[in-house]
Amino acid sequence: MAQTQTEDKRKLLDWDKLEIGEKLPSFSYVLTQEMIDEYRKGVMDPEAGFPTISHKVDVRPYQSVYRDNGSVNARCAFHCYNSPIAGKRITVQAWIADKYARRGKNYIVTEAVSVDEDGRLLDRVITHELKQPNEVGKKWQ
Amino acid sequence: MAMTRTFKVGDEIPSLTKTMTQEAINLFEKSGGATGPSQFTDTETARHTLGTHSTVASGRMSLTFAIELLRRYFGADIYNRGGIVDLRFLRPVRPGDSITFTGKVTGITKEANGQRVSVEVSAKNQKGDTTAAGGGSCLVPSGYFPPEE
Repeated sequence: MAQTQTEDKRKLLDWDKLEIGEKLPSFSYVLTQEMIDEYRKGVMDPEAGFPTISHKVDVRPYQSVYRDNGSVNARCAFHCYNSPIAGKRITVQAWIADKYARRGKNYIVTEAVSVDEDGRLLDRVITHELKQPNEVGKKWQ
Repeated sequence: MAMTRTFKVGDEIPSLTKTMTQEAINLFEKSGGATGPSQFTDTETARHTLGTHSTVASGRMSLTFAIELLRRYFGADIYNRGGIVDLRFLRPVRPGDSITFTGKVTGITKEANGQRVSVEVSAKNQKGDTTAAGGGSCLVPSGYFPPEE
């Protein structure tokens, strides 16, 4: 029987070797009205202005480069500059902003900025991810 | 002419309560292009990855609620152009949880293009446990403040 499983070519995360400042692959997407509507329904806020939040644009490029055991969002900061507009193409640049170990646990900080096709700076997101996700279940099953 | 606003250290921000459902979590994940099972949408994946008995909501949903709390307080015309929020996620939020976000003004500092109003923000579940805590701020342009004497 033919194998259809594709090989995962991503690098296995070596936290010690991860370099702060590493640029992650830039990518772009078109923000559709449907995405905005679903986001607003999901967050129960018809005026929610930053549907870009659900796209997780800082960790997505990380996950396109590295494979690991998963992660948990430990801290997240979001800077609002301009609300995105439906139908516009948004370009994202993300990078590894920091890494740290605390109480025996490893964290990676990713950061990303989003700009639309008209050059409007939309937002900046900074996320601290705990790289031992099973710590959650140890404390709160 | 923009409506003038006044802010004082100690001002309470009107609270915001959200009841989490699996449907809301699924919509949030789908809106961001997520496909396939995840710790947010699938109990088995949550058990395997996190070791929890149920799915959890992304911290970014709490982040969004904190942004709504502050946008309602400052006004969308100001907050969507100069707002910041920064939250630490302290406990999982699960389907069925009711989360109340509160905040208070903690400082006001002059900047080159207005005044930055800083706030503390926290979120508690229906049991009174803190699920998230942190802060935020908003750069309020000088034109929104009453003229100085």
